[in-house]
Amino acid sequence: MTDEPRRRRYSIGVAIDWFFFVFAGLAAIWLAYLSFTETFNVGWWGIAVAIAFWVLLAYLVLPRLHRILTTVYVPDYFIGRARTSDGLLGDPVNLAVLGEAEQIHTAMREAGWTRADPVTLGSSWRIISSTLTRRSYGEAPVSPLFLFGRQQDFAYQQEVDGNPAQRHHVRFWQCPEEWLLPGGSRVDWLAAGTFDTAVGLSLFTLQVTHRIDADTDIERDHIVRTVTAADPRVTVTTLKDFSTGYHARNGGGDSIRTDGDLPIVDVRAVQEATA
Amino acid sequence: MTNAPNKRPAFEPASELLKPVSRDPDMKRPASTVAGALLVFLRVVSGLIILIMIVLDWRNTLKEVDVTIEGVENTPEVAQAALITVVIFLGVVLLVDAALALFILTGHNWARVTVMTFSAISIVGAFIQWWSEGQEITINGSLLTLGLDILILLALSSRSAAAYARRNERR
Repeated sequence: MTDEPRRRRYSIGVAIDWFFFVFAGLAAIWLAYLSFTETFNVGWWGIAVAIAFWVLLAYLVLPRLHRILTTVYVPDYFIGRARTSDGLLGDPVNLAVLGEAEQIHTAMREAGWTRADPVTLGSSWRIISSTLTRRSYGEAPVSPLFLFGRQQDFAYQQEVDGNPAQRHHVRFWQCPEEWLLPGGSRVDWLAAGTFDTAVGLSLFTLQVTHRIDADTDIERDHIVRTVTAADPRVTVTTLKDFSTGYHARNGGGDSIRTDGDLPIVDVRAVQEATA
Repeated sequence: MTNAPNKRPAFEPASELLKPVSRDPDMKRPASTVAGALLVFLRVVSGLIILIMIVLDWRNTLKEVDVTIEGVENTPEVAQAALITVVIFLGVVLLVDAALALFILTGHNWARVTVMTFSAISIVGAFIQWWSEGQEITINGSLLTLGLDILILLALSSRSAAAYARRNERR
């Protein structure tokens, strides 16, 4: 017997939370059904009720269902893919970086990339207004994707012709300490770069979202090319066939394909910009 | 036998899901907590409107009151007393509800669990009436109050709201 109190492996409170989490999901399905049948009973108001039904389905019911189901069937260890906030498989992790955060910031800035604003009420409103007025918003936030159970630490992007629907973007996650890539290489950061081609509806949740270009290798090589061209001190080594080449779908239902190479960008020689 | 270390199981045990949450006292208040508290306030406001309607239309409501307690005659005085009791009871419930919304906003887990429990009970009741007694749920009837209950439950049961309410718990 030790004097230390045994730490409980589970928490009853968390079990209660899970009960309500699933119960609310089921209740929401019922509510969606009720509002769907009601759509046909209220004449022209049915259009408004139908929109309410879509909002309910796309932003509350389906995400909750995906969250419950992906908890069951998507493994939570590193499989080379980021996950959406609903737990669905998201963009492929196709870039690794060695170096400090400040060095990445310097290298990306020099290469003509803009850091994305965090998602807040203000920046969300700016996205809507800039889309409606067709104005440019170079620091538009990117949606959160998760790796190691954490949201991205920061993201960079490049606008294309001031069009808010199209942009290059790449998210960065710091690896946990002592964490090794499958195969044993040590990297400091992982990143997922994809190219947004248009605004559309997500296949899995019916939410409004960006569609991404299927050929994620082009975007990966674009990032590597811009960063190495801007600063000769940046070096690149490539892990050939890090993941096998594959076709798949991301969290929005867009198909993706890659040759499976993982470039490791070394920015450790970049001097931090002392502002 | 081999000396190979134990293999990691190919599945994640269910107890992984019940791991206590990590402590994070500096957590920012998430949108789901704010939405949940606002929806509870909305429920208080809608209750308040009903209460005001009763008070403004006191005479007509009084006529509809039909006390059926054994041994009590249905006189106007009894009806008056019954209505006053109901109004006071409703008022207290609304006050408690508003207080709970404030406690949710400041991140008290007991308030969150209490509100979720009562919402769940009311949803189950509505479901039983709809399923086995065929009671219609329409947009002019109980769909709005039911929807409010379900939305409150959805908001408060979300992971961010749960994490915020448990941000001070020790691991």
